[in-house]
Amino acid sequence: MDEVIRLDNVSLWRRTQEEFSYDLKKTVLSMFEGKYQKSSKRLVIKDLSFSIQKGEKVGIIGANGAGKSTLLKLICGILKPSQGVIRVKGTISPLIELGAGFDADLSVIDNIIMYGVMLGFSEQDIKQRINSILEFAELQEYALAPVKALSSGMVARLGFSIATDVKPDILILDEVLSVGDESFRQKSKIKMDEFWNAHATILVVSHSMEFISQSCDKVLFLKKGSVVFYGSTKDAIHTYISSLSSQVESVEE
Amino acid sequence: MSRQNFNERFMFSHTILNQIYIDGESLKRYLELLKVLVMRNLKVRYRGSFLGVYWSLLNPLMMTVVYTAIFGTTFAEYYDNSTLNYVLAAFTGLVVTNFYSASTSQALASIVGNGSLLNKIKLPLSVFPTSMIAANSFQFLVGTFPLLSIISLLTSHNILNILGLLLITLDLGLVCMGIGFFVSTLYIYFRDLPYFYEIVCFMVWISSPVFYPAAIVPDNIKTILLLNPLTSIIEALRELSLSGSFPSTLTLGKAFLSGFLAMSLGWFFFQSQKDNMMDLV
Repeated sequence: MDEVIRLDNVSLWRRTQEEFSYDLKKTVLSMFEGKYQKSSKRLVIKDLSFSIQKGEKVGIIGANGAGKSTLLKLICGILKPSQGVIRVKGTISPLIELGAGFDADLSVIDNIIMYGVMLGFSEQDIKQRINSILEFAELQEYALAPVKALSSGMVARLGFSIATDVKPDILILDEVLSVGDESFRQKSKIKMDEFWNAHATILVVSHSMEFISQSCDKVLFLKKGSVVFYGSTKDAIHTYISSLSSQVESVEE
Repeated sequence: MSRQNFNERFMFSHTILNQIYIDGESLKRYLELLKVLVMRNLKVRYRGSFLGVYWSLLNPLMMTVVYTAIFGTTFAEYYDNSTLNYVLAAFTGLVVTNFYSASTSQALASIVGNGSLLNKIKLPLSVFPTSMIAANSFQFLVGTFPLLSIISLLTSHNILNILGLLLITLDLGLVCMGIGFFVSTLYIYFRDLPYFYEIVCFMVWISSPVFYPAAIVPDNIKTILLLNPLTSIIEALRELSLSGSFPSTLTLGKAFLSGFLAMSLGWFFFQSQKDNMMDLV
Protein backbone atom coordinates (compact mmCIF):
# COMPACT_ATOMS: atom_id res chain seq x y z
CA MET A 1 0.00 0.00 0.00
CA ASP A 2 1.53 3.26 -0.87
CA GLU A 3 0.90 6.68 0.55
CA VAL A 4 -0.49 9.24 -1.83
CA ILE A 5 -0.92 12.11 0.62
CA ARG A 6 1.28 12.69 3.61
CA LEU A 7 1.39 15.59 6.04
CA ASP A 8 4.19 15.92 8.57
CA ASN A 9 3.87 18.51 11.33
CA VAL A 10 2.08 20.92 9.05
CA SER A 11 1.15 24.29 10.52
CA LEU A 12 -0.24 27.36 8.84
CA TRP A 13 -0.27 30.93 10.02
CA ARG A 14 -2.53 33.37 8.25
CA ARG A 15 -2.82 37.10 8.47
CA THR A 16 -5.94 38.36 10.17
CA GLN A 17 -7.28 40.62 7.49
CA GLU A 18 -9.37 42.95 9.65
CA GLU A 19 -6.43 44.59 11.31
CA PHE A 20 -4.39 45.24 8.24
CA SER A 21 -4.92 48.61 6.65
CA TYR A 22 -4.64 48.65 2.93
CA ASP A 23 -4.37 52.39 2.68
CA LEU A 24 -1.07 53.88 1.74
CA LYS A 25 -2.01 56.98 3.66
CA LYS A 26 -2.94 55.16 6.87
CA THR A 27 0.19 53.04 6.85
CA VAL A 28 2.51 55.98 6.23
CA LEU A 29 0.82 58.09 8.90
CA SER A 30 0.98 55.28 11.43
CA MET A 31 4.64 54.83 10.64
CA PHE A 32 5.25 58.50 11.39
CA GLU A 33 3.29 58.32 14.60
CA GLY A 34 5.44 55.41 15.72
CA LYS A 35 2.39 53.16 16.07
CA TYR A 36 3.21 50.90 13.14
CA GLN A 37 2.78 47.24 14.06
CA LYS A 38 3.57 44.21 12.03
CA SER A 39 0.32 42.55 11.09
CA SER A 40 -0.81 39.85 13.47
CA LYS A 41 -1.19 36.29 12.34
CA ARG A 42 -3.47 33.51 13.51
CA LEU A 43 -2.56 29.85 13.73
CA VAL A 44 -5.10 28.21 11.47
CA ILE A 45 -3.73 24.69 11.10
CA LYS A 46 -1.92 23.27 14.12
CA ASP A 47 0.74 20.64 13.68
CA LEU A 48 -1.17 18.19 11.49
CA SER A 49 0.37 14.83 10.71
CA PHE A 50 -1.43 12.08 8.90
CA SER A 51 -1.23 10.04 5.74
CA ILE A 52 -3.68 8.69 3.22
CA GLN A 53 -3.11 5.49 1.27
CA LYS A 54 -3.92 4.93 -2.37
CA GLY A 55 -7.55 4.08 -2.98
CA GLU A 56 -8.81 5.19 0.42
CA LYS A 57 -11.98 7.22 0.68
CA VAL A 58 -11.49 9.71 3.48
CA GLY A 59 -14.11 12.05 4.86
CA ILE A 60 -13.24 15.29 6.66
CA ILE A 61 -15.67 16.57 9.24
CA GLY A 62 -15.73 19.34 11.76
CA ALA A 63 -17.51 22.52 12.73
CA ASN A 64 -17.48 25.56 10.47
CA GLY A 65 -14.12 27.28 10.76
CA ALA A 66 -12.33 24.14 11.91
CA GLY A 67 -9.95 24.34 8.98
CA LYS A 68 -11.41 21.76 6.60
CA SER A 69 -11.37 23.90 3.46
CA THR A 70 -8.01 25.33 4.46
CA LEU A 71 -6.64 21.80 4.72
CA LEU A 72 -7.95 21.00 1.25
CA LYS A 73 -6.35 24.15 -0.12
CA LEU A 74 -3.04 23.14 1.45
CA ILE A 75 -3.22 19.70 -0.15
CA CYS A 76 -4.13 21.20 -3.54
CA GLY A 77 -1.20 23.56 -3.38
CA ILE A 78 -3.25 26.77 -3.30
CA LEU A 79 -1.74 27.63 0.09
CA LYS A 80 1.76 26.84 1.30
CA PRO A 81 2.34 25.57 4.85
CA SER A 82 4.28 27.83 7.23
CA GLN A 83 5.90 24.77 8.77
CA GLY A 84 6.06 21.10 7.98
CA VAL A 85 5.97 19.16 4.76
CA ILE A 86 3.12 18.09 2.52
CA ARG A 87 3.76 15.30 0.06
CA VAL A 88 1.28 14.42 -2.66
CA LYS A 89 1.73 11.73 -5.28
CA GLY A 90 -0.46 11.74 -8.38
CA THR A 91 -2.78 14.07 -10.27
CA ILE A 92 -5.29 16.01 -8.20
CA SER A 93 -8.72 17.05 -9.41
CA PRO A 94 -10.09 19.65 -7.00
CA LEU A 95 -13.84 20.13 -6.93
CA ILE A 96 -13.83 23.21 -4.73
CA GLU A 97 -16.58 25.68 -5.55
CA LEU A 98 -17.28 24.68 -9.09
CA GLY A 99 -17.48 27.47 -11.59
CA ALA A 100 -15.18 29.83 -9.72
CA GLY A 101 -13.13 30.31 -12.85
CA PHE A 102 -16.02 31.17 -15.16
CA ASP A 103 -16.18 34.57 -16.80
CA ALA A 104 -19.81 35.64 -17.12
CA ASP A 105 -19.29 37.52 -20.39
CA LEU A 106 -17.64 34.71 -22.32
CA SER A 107 -19.50 31.94 -24.14
CA VAL A 108 -19.92 28.52 -22.60
CA ILE A 109 -17.39 26.95 -24.97
CA ASP A 110 -14.78 29.64 -24.26
CA ASN A 111 -15.35 29.10 -20.56
CA ILE A 112 -14.94 25.34 -20.91
CA ILE A 113 -11.57 25.85 -22.57
CA MET A 114 -10.44 28.45 -20.03
CA TYR A 115 -11.64 26.54 -16.97
CA GLY A 116 -10.24 23.30 -18.34
CA VAL A 117 -6.79 24.78 -18.89
CA MET A 118 -6.85 26.31 -15.40
CA LEU A 119 -7.75 22.95 -13.88
CA GLY A 120 -4.77 21.39 -15.59
CA PHE A 121 -5.99 19.96 -18.90
CA SER A 122 -3.91 20.69 -21.97
CA GLU A 123 -5.69 22.92 -24.48
CA GLN A 124 -5.86 20.22 -27.12
CA ASP A 125 -7.25 17.78 -24.57
CA ILE A 126 -10.05 20.02 -23.35
CA LYS A 127 -11.04 20.98 -26.89
CA GLN A 128 -11.61 17.32 -27.70
CA ARG A 129 -13.76 16.91 -24.62
CA ILE A 130 -16.07 19.87 -25.26
CA ASN A 131 -18.83 17.77 -26.77
CA SER A 132 -18.86 15.13 -24.09
CA ILE A 133 -18.89 17.84 -21.41
CA LEU A 134 -21.82 19.68 -23.02
CA GLU A 135 -23.67 16.40 -23.34
CA PHE A 136 -23.21 15.41 -19.71
CA ALA A 137 -24.26 18.86 -18.51
CA GLU A 138 -27.17 18.91 -20.99
CA LEU A 139 -26.16 22.33 -22.23
CA GLN A 140 -25.70 21.64 -25.95
CA GLU A 141 -28.11 24.43 -26.94
CA TYR A 142 -26.25 26.94 -24.81
CA ALA A 143 -22.84 26.28 -26.32
CA LEU A 144 -22.42 29.80 -27.70
CA ALA A 145 -24.44 31.66 -25.10
CA PRO A 146 -22.61 33.81 -22.54
CA VAL A 147 -22.43 32.21 -19.11
CA LYS A 148 -24.39 35.08 -17.56
CA ALA A 149 -27.43 33.75 -19.42
CA LEU A 150 -27.29 30.46 -17.53
CA SER A 151 -29.07 29.76 -14.27
CA SER A 152 -26.95 28.98 -11.21
CA GLY A 153 -27.90 25.32 -11.46
CA MET A 154 -26.68 25.19 -15.03
CA VAL A 155 -23.42 26.83 -14.06
CA ALA A 156 -22.88 24.31 -11.30
CA ARG A 157 -23.66 21.45 -13.69
CA LEU A 158 -21.18 22.83 -16.17
CA GLY A 159 -18.46 23.13 -13.54
CA PHE A 160 -19.13 19.63 -12.32
CA SER A 161 -19.01 18.20 -15.85
CA ILE A 162 -15.71 19.82 -16.67
CA ALA A 163 -14.03 18.85 -13.44
CA THR A 164 -15.17 15.23 -13.54
CA ASP A 165 -14.31 14.57 -17.16
CA VAL A 166 -11.00 13.05 -16.10
CA LYS A 167 -9.79 10.05 -14.24
CA PRO A 168 -7.61 11.68 -11.61
CA ASP A 169 -5.51 9.83 -9.06
CA ILE A 170 -6.81 12.00 -6.24
CA LEU A 171 -10.24 13.60 -6.15
CA ILE A 172 -11.02 16.34 -3.67
CA LEU A 173 -14.64 17.28 -3.01
CA ASP A 174 -15.69 20.26 -0.95
CA GLU A 175 -19.42 20.00 -0.31
CA VAL A 176 -20.29 20.04 -4.00
CA LEU A 177 -22.46 17.05 -4.55
CA SER A 178 -25.92 18.54 -4.19
CA VAL A 179 -26.40 20.43 -7.43
CA GLY A 180 -28.95 20.22 -10.17
CA ASP A 181 -32.35 18.68 -10.55
CA GLU A 182 -33.19 15.05 -9.80
CA SER A 183 -32.09 13.63 -13.16
CA PHE A 184 -28.76 15.41 -12.97
CA ARG A 185 -28.26 14.27 -9.41
CA GLN A 186 -28.74 10.72 -10.54
CA LYS A 187 -26.21 11.19 -13.33
CA SER A 188 -23.69 12.72 -10.97
CA LYS A 189 -24.23 9.94 -8.48
CA ILE A 190 -23.41 7.42 -11.23
CA LYS A 191 -20.28 9.43 -12.06
CA MET A 192 -19.26 9.56 -8.42
CA ASP A 193 -19.83 5.81 -8.08
CA GLU A 194 -17.48 5.33 -11.04
CA PHE A 195 -14.81 7.25 -9.17
CA TRP A 196 -15.50 5.33 -6.02
CA ASN A 197 -15.08 2.02 -7.78
CA ALA A 198 -12.08 3.05 -9.81
CA HIS A 199 -9.63 2.96 -6.89
CA ALA A 200 -9.14 6.68 -6.99
CA THR A 201 -8.18 8.25 -3.69
CA ILE A 202 -10.96 10.54 -2.54
CA LEU A 203 -11.14 13.28 0.06
CA VAL A 204 -14.60 14.58 0.89
CA VAL A 205 -15.60 17.46 3.09
CA SER A 206 -19.21 17.21 4.10
CA HIS A 207 -21.62 18.11 6.83
CA SER A 208 -23.91 15.20 6.00
CA MET A 209 -23.02 12.39 8.38
CA GLU A 210 -25.28 10.10 6.39
CA PHE A 211 -23.28 10.61 3.22
CA ILE A 212 -19.99 10.21 5.04
CA SER A 213 -20.94 7.01 6.79
CA GLN A 214 -22.18 5.54 3.48
CA SER A 215 -19.20 6.47 1.35
CA CYS A 216 -16.03 6.79 3.41
CA ASP A 217 -13.68 4.20 4.89
CA LYS A 218 -11.95 6.61 7.25
CA VAL A 219 -12.78 9.97 8.67
CA LEU A 220 -10.66 12.87 9.85
CA PHE A 221 -12.31 14.99 12.53
CA LEU A 222 -10.88 18.49 12.77
CA LYS A 223 -11.45 21.02 15.50
CA LYS A 224 -9.91 24.51 15.44
CA GLY A 225 -7.10 23.38 13.16
CA SER A 226 -6.03 20.23 14.99
CA VAL A 227 -6.83 16.57 14.49
CA VAL A 228 -9.21 15.31 17.15
CA PHE A 229 -9.64 11.88 15.64
CA TYR A 230 -8.50 10.01 12.56
CA GLY A 231 -9.78 6.54 12.13
CA SER A 232 -12.79 4.44 11.29
CA THR A 233 -15.89 6.20 10.06
CA LYS A 234 -18.16 4.95 12.83
CA ASP A 235 -15.86 6.00 15.68
CA ALA A 236 -15.08 9.37 14.18
CA ILE A 237 -18.71 10.28 13.65
CA HIS A 238 -19.48 9.09 17.17
CA THR A 239 -16.73 11.33 18.57
CA TYR A 240 -18.01 14.29 16.54
CA ILE A 241 -21.60 13.88 17.65
CA SER A 242 -20.69 13.46 21.30
CA SER A 243 -18.54 16.58 21.16
CA LEU A 244 -21.54 18.46 19.78
CA SER A 245 -23.86 17.29 22.52
CA SER A 246 -21.32 18.19 25.23
CA GLN A 247 -21.22 21.67 23.70
CA VAL A 248 -24.98 21.90 23.88
CA GLU A 249 -24.88 20.78 27.52
CA SER A 250 -22.36 23.46 28.44
CA VAL A 251 -24.52 26.08 26.76
CA GLU A 252 -27.60 24.93 28.64
CA GLU A 253 -25.76 25.23 31.95
CA MET B 1 20.69 11.19 -39.68
CA SER B 2 18.78 7.96 -39.04
CA ARG B 3 15.11 8.11 -38.11
CA GLN B 4 15.87 6.91 -34.62
CA ASN B 5 18.37 9.70 -34.07
CA PHE B 6 15.90 12.25 -35.26
CA ASN B 7 13.18 10.97 -32.94
CA GLU B 8 15.57 10.96 -30.01
CA ARG B 9 16.62 14.51 -30.65
CA PHE B 10 13.05 15.68 -31.04
CA MET B 11 12.00 13.98 -27.81
CA PHE B 12 14.98 15.41 -26.02
CA SER B 13 14.21 19.00 -26.97
CA HIS B 14 10.52 18.44 -26.30
CA THR B 15 11.15 17.23 -22.78
CA ILE B 16 13.60 20.06 -22.16
CA LEU B 17 10.84 22.52 -23.01
CA ASN B 18 8.60 20.84 -20.50
CA GLN B 19 11.35 20.85 -17.90
CA ILE B 20 11.67 24.61 -17.87
CA TYR B 21 9.66 25.78 -14.89
CA ILE B 22 8.22 29.22 -14.36
CA ASP B 23 6.75 29.76 -10.92
CA GLY B 24 6.15 26.05 -10.41
CA GLU B 25 4.52 25.25 -13.73
CA SER B 26 6.09 23.70 -16.80
CA LEU B 27 6.65 26.06 -19.71
CA LYS B 28 3.98 24.43 -21.88
CA ARG B 29 1.28 24.79 -19.22
CA TYR B 30 2.38 28.35 -18.43
CA LEU B 31 2.09 29.35 -22.08
CA GLU B 32 -1.33 27.73 -22.41
CA LEU B 33 -2.56 29.55 -19.32
CA LEU B 34 -1.15 32.77 -20.72
CA LYS B 35 -2.92 32.23 -24.04
CA VAL B 36 -6.24 31.47 -22.38
CA LEU B 37 -6.03 34.55 -20.15
CA VAL B 38 -5.05 36.84 -23.03
CA MET B 39 -7.99 35.58 -25.09
CA ARG B 40 -10.35 36.17 -22.18
CA ASN B 41 -9.02 39.68 -21.74
CA LEU B 42 -9.37 40.64 -25.39
CA LYS B 43 -12.70 38.94 -25.97
CA VAL B 44 -14.32 40.56 -22.96
CA ARG B 45 -12.91 43.99 -23.68
CA TYR B 46 -13.90 44.11 -27.32
CA ARG B 47 -17.15 42.22 -27.08
CA GLY B 48 -19.50 43.69 -29.66
CA SER B 49 -16.93 46.30 -30.61
CA PHE B 50 -16.59 47.16 -34.27
CA LEU B 51 -12.96 48.26 -34.38
CA GLY B 52 -11.82 46.05 -31.51
CA VAL B 53 -8.07 45.99 -31.10
CA TYR B 54 -7.66 48.76 -33.68
CA TRP B 55 -8.77 51.36 -31.16
CA SER B 56 -5.28 51.16 -29.70
CA LEU B 57 -4.06 52.50 -33.05
CA LEU B 58 -6.85 54.97 -33.71
CA ASN B 59 -6.36 56.73 -30.38
CA PRO B 60 -2.75 57.89 -30.99
CA LEU B 61 -3.59 58.76 -34.59
CA MET B 62 -6.39 61.09 -33.56
CA MET B 63 -4.36 62.61 -30.73
CA THR B 64 -1.51 63.28 -33.15
CA VAL B 65 -3.89 65.19 -35.40
CA VAL B 66 -4.98 67.31 -32.43
CA TYR B 67 -1.43 68.03 -31.27
CA THR B 68 -0.30 68.93 -34.77
CA ALA B 69 -3.22 71.29 -35.16
CA ILE B 70 -2.44 73.07 -31.88
CA PHE B 71 1.35 72.86 -31.49
CA GLY B 72 2.53 72.12 -35.03
CA THR B 73 3.32 75.67 -36.06
CA THR B 74 4.83 76.76 -32.72
CA PHE B 75 7.39 73.99 -32.65
CA ALA B 76 7.95 73.85 -36.39
CA GLU B 77 11.46 75.32 -36.22
CA TYR B 78 12.68 72.46 -34.01
CA TYR B 79 11.62 69.94 -36.62
CA ASP B 80 13.35 71.50 -39.64
CA ASN B 81 10.09 73.28 -40.42
CA SER B 82 8.56 70.01 -41.52
CA THR B 83 5.08 69.22 -40.21
CA LEU B 84 5.60 65.61 -41.20
CA ASN B 85 8.52 65.37 -38.81
CA TYR B 86 6.40 66.76 -36.00
CA VAL B 87 3.60 64.34 -36.83
CA LEU B 88 5.95 61.36 -36.76
CA ALA B 89 7.64 62.52 -33.57
CA ALA B 90 4.31 63.01 -31.79
CA PHE B 91 2.89 59.73 -33.08
CA THR B 92 5.86 57.61 -32.04
CA GLY B 93 5.95 59.21 -28.62
CA LEU B 94 2.21 58.70 -28.11
CA VAL B 95 2.28 55.08 -29.20
CA VAL B 96 4.93 54.27 -26.59
CA THR B 97 3.36 56.19 -23.69
CA ASN B 98 -0.10 54.82 -24.46
CA PHE B 99 1.21 51.26 -24.48
CA TYR B 100 3.02 51.89 -21.21
CA SER B 101 0.01 53.45 -19.44
CA ALA B 102 -2.48 50.83 -20.62
CA SER B 103 -0.38 47.73 -20.00
CA THR B 104 0.98 48.71 -16.59
CA SER B 105 -2.38 49.99 -15.30
CA GLN B 106 -4.05 46.74 -16.33
CA ALA B 107 -1.22 44.69 -14.83
CA LEU B 108 -1.59 46.67 -11.60
CA ALA B 109 -5.09 45.36 -10.98
CA SER B 110 -4.52 41.90 -12.40
CA ILE B 111 -3.59 39.90 -9.30
CA VAL B 112 -6.05 41.50 -6.88
CA GLY B 113 -8.79 41.44 -9.50
CA ASN B 114 -8.44 37.68 -9.86
CA GLY B 115 -8.38 37.13 -6.10
CA SER B 116 -11.49 34.95 -5.96
CA LEU B 117 -10.07 32.72 -8.68
CA LEU B 118 -6.70 32.40 -6.97
CA ASN B 119 -8.35 31.28 -3.76
CA LYS B 120 -10.06 28.37 -5.46
CA ILE B 121 -7.65 27.06 -8.14
CA LYS B 122 -3.91 26.63 -8.00
CA LEU B 123 -2.42 29.07 -10.51
CA PRO B 124 1.01 30.71 -10.82
CA LEU B 125 0.61 34.32 -9.64
CA SER B 126 3.02 35.77 -12.18
CA VAL B 127 0.87 34.73 -15.12
CA PHE B 128 -1.67 37.50 -14.42
CA PRO B 129 0.44 40.63 -14.89
CA THR B 130 2.25 38.86 -17.73
CA SER B 131 -1.05 38.20 -19.50
CA MET B 132 -1.92 41.91 -19.40
CA ILE B 133 1.36 42.88 -21.03
CA ALA B 134 0.90 40.07 -23.53
CA ALA B 135 -2.63 41.18 -24.44
CA ASN B 136 -1.48 44.75 -25.04
CA SER B 137 1.51 43.50 -27.02
CA PHE B 138 -0.80 41.50 -29.24
CA GLN B 139 -2.89 44.62 -29.89
CA PHE B 140 0.28 46.54 -30.65
CA LEU B 141 1.64 43.94 -33.06
CA VAL B 142 -1.64 43.69 -34.93
CA GLY B 143 -2.48 47.39 -35.04
CA THR B 144 0.37 49.82 -34.56
CA PHE B 145 3.37 47.71 -35.60
CA PRO B 146 2.31 47.31 -39.26
CA LEU B 147 1.81 51.07 -39.56
CA LEU B 148 5.21 51.79 -38.02
CA SER B 149 6.79 49.25 -40.38
CA ILE B 150 5.26 50.97 -43.37
CA ILE B 151 6.51 54.35 -42.17
CA SER B 152 10.04 53.10 -41.64
CA LEU B 153 10.04 51.32 -45.00
CA LEU B 154 8.91 54.51 -46.71
CA THR B 155 11.64 56.57 -45.04
CA SER B 156 14.50 54.13 -45.30
CA HIS B 157 13.64 51.53 -47.96
CA ASN B 158 15.49 49.10 -45.74
CA ILE B 159 13.85 45.91 -44.56
CA LEU B 160 16.40 45.46 -41.78
CA ASN B 161 14.78 48.31 -39.92
CA ILE B 162 11.79 46.11 -39.22
CA LEU B 163 14.15 44.03 -37.10
CA GLY B 164 15.01 47.21 -35.29
CA LEU B 165 11.32 47.85 -34.68
CA LEU B 166 10.94 44.35 -33.27
CA LEU B 167 13.84 44.90 -30.91
CA ILE B 168 12.34 48.15 -29.67
CA THR B 169 8.95 46.49 -29.17
CA LEU B 170 10.62 43.71 -27.20
CA ASP B 171 12.37 46.24 -25.04
CA LEU B 172 9.18 48.17 -24.40
CA GLY B 173 7.55 44.90 -23.37
CA LEU B 174 10.40 44.26 -20.94
CA VAL B 175 10.09 47.67 -19.30
CA CYS B 176 6.33 47.36 -18.94
CA MET B 177 6.53 43.81 -17.59
CA GLY B 178 9.01 44.86 -14.94
CA ILE B 179 6.89 47.82 -13.90
CA GLY B 180 3.79 45.62 -14.12
CA PHE B 181 5.23 43.09 -11.67
CA PHE B 182 6.20 45.90 -9.34
CA VAL B 183 2.84 47.69 -9.23
CA SER B 184 0.74 44.52 -9.16
CA THR B 185 2.64 43.43 -6.04
CA LEU B 186 2.39 46.86 -4.46
CA TYR B 187 -1.36 47.07 -5.07
CA ILE B 188 -1.92 44.06 -2.85
CA TYR B 189 -0.62 46.05 0.10
CA PHE B 190 -1.69 49.55 -0.83
CA ARG B 191 -5.18 49.70 -2.28
CA ASP B 192 -4.87 53.43 -2.97
CA LEU B 193 -2.28 52.76 -5.64
CA PRO B 194 -4.52 53.19 -8.74
CA TYR B 195 -5.22 56.84 -7.89
CA PHE B 196 -1.58 57.54 -7.33
CA TYR B 197 -0.58 55.60 -10.42
CA GLU B 198 -2.86 57.67 -12.63
CA ILE B 199 -0.73 60.66 -11.69
CA VAL B 200 2.47 58.70 -12.30
CA CYS B 201 1.32 57.83 -15.81
CA PHE B 202 0.52 61.46 -16.47
CA MET B 203 3.98 62.49 -15.27
CA VAL B 204 5.61 59.89 -17.48
CA TRP B 205 3.64 61.18 -20.43
CA ILE B 206 4.43 64.80 -19.73
CA SER B 207 8.13 64.16 -19.19
CA SER B 208 8.53 62.11 -22.37
CA PRO B 209 8.99 64.58 -25.21
CA VAL B 210 5.77 63.55 -26.95
CA PHE B 211 4.08 66.68 -28.17
CA TYR B 212 7.01 69.06 -27.54
CA PRO B 213 10.62 68.84 -28.67
CA ALA B 214 13.20 67.84 -26.05
CA ALA B 215 15.22 70.95 -26.92
CA ILE B 216 12.86 73.39 -25.18
CA VAL B 217 13.38 71.80 -21.78
CA PRO B 218 15.67 73.87 -19.51
CA ASP B 219 18.96 72.13 -18.71
CA ASN B 220 18.38 71.63 -15.00
CA ILE B 221 15.09 69.85 -15.68
CA LYS B 222 16.61 67.75 -18.44
CA THR B 223 18.53 65.60 -15.98
CA ILE B 224 15.29 64.72 -14.18
CA LEU B 225 13.74 63.70 -17.48
CA LEU B 226 16.50 61.14 -17.91
CA LEU B 227 14.86 59.15 -15.10
CA ASN B 228 12.00 58.33 -17.44
CA PRO B 229 12.53 54.75 -18.68
CA LEU B 230 10.60 55.42 -21.83
CA THR B 231 12.77 58.26 -23.13
CA SER B 232 15.44 56.00 -24.61
CA ILE B 233 12.81 53.78 -26.23
CA ILE B 234 11.05 56.76 -27.82
CA GLU B 235 14.41 58.08 -29.01
CA ALA B 236 15.24 54.77 -30.66
CA LEU B 237 11.83 54.58 -32.28
CA ARG B 238 12.18 58.10 -33.66
CA GLU B 239 15.64 57.44 -35.04
CA LEU B 240 14.17 54.53 -36.95
CA SER B 241 11.11 56.19 -38.35
CA LEU B 242 12.31 59.77 -38.86
CA SER B 243 15.86 59.43 -40.04
CA GLY B 244 15.45 56.00 -41.57
CA SER B 245 18.61 54.60 -40.04
CA PHE B 246 18.89 51.60 -37.77
CA PRO B 247 19.11 53.01 -34.25
CA SER B 248 22.66 53.50 -33.04
CA THR B 249 24.20 51.03 -30.64
CA LEU B 250 24.27 53.69 -27.95
CA THR B 251 20.55 54.37 -28.16
CA LEU B 252 19.71 50.67 -28.28
CA GLY B 253 22.07 50.03 -25.44
CA LYS B 254 20.43 52.68 -23.25
CA ALA B 255 17.00 51.35 -24.14
CA PHE B 256 17.85 47.76 -23.28
CA LEU B 257 19.58 48.84 -20.11
CA SER B 258 16.41 50.43 -18.78
CA GLY B 259 14.52 47.35 -19.97
CA PHE B 260 16.65 44.87 -18.08
CA LEU B 261 16.79 47.09 -15.01
CA ALA B 262 13.01 47.48 -14.85
CA MET B 263 12.51 43.77 -15.44
CA SER B 264 14.98 42.63 -12.78
CA LEU B 265 13.75 45.05 -10.11
CA GLY B 266 10.11 44.23 -10.78
CA TRP B 267 10.64 40.48 -10.94
CA PHE B 268 12.71 40.34 -7.75
CA PHE B 269 10.24 42.47 -5.83
CA PHE B 270 7.41 40.20 -7.00
CA GLN B 271 9.28 37.03 -6.07
CA SER B 272 10.15 38.37 -2.63
CA GLN B 273 6.48 39.04 -1.81
CA LYS B 274 4.98 36.08 -3.62
CA ASP B 275 4.53 33.89 -0.57
CA ASN B 276 2.71 36.58 1.40
CA MET B 277 0.21 37.37 -1.29
CA MET B 278 -2.31 34.58 -0.74
CA ASP B 279 -3.33 35.95 2.65
CA LEU B 280 -4.26 39.32 1.27
CA VAL B 281 -5.67 38.61 -2.14
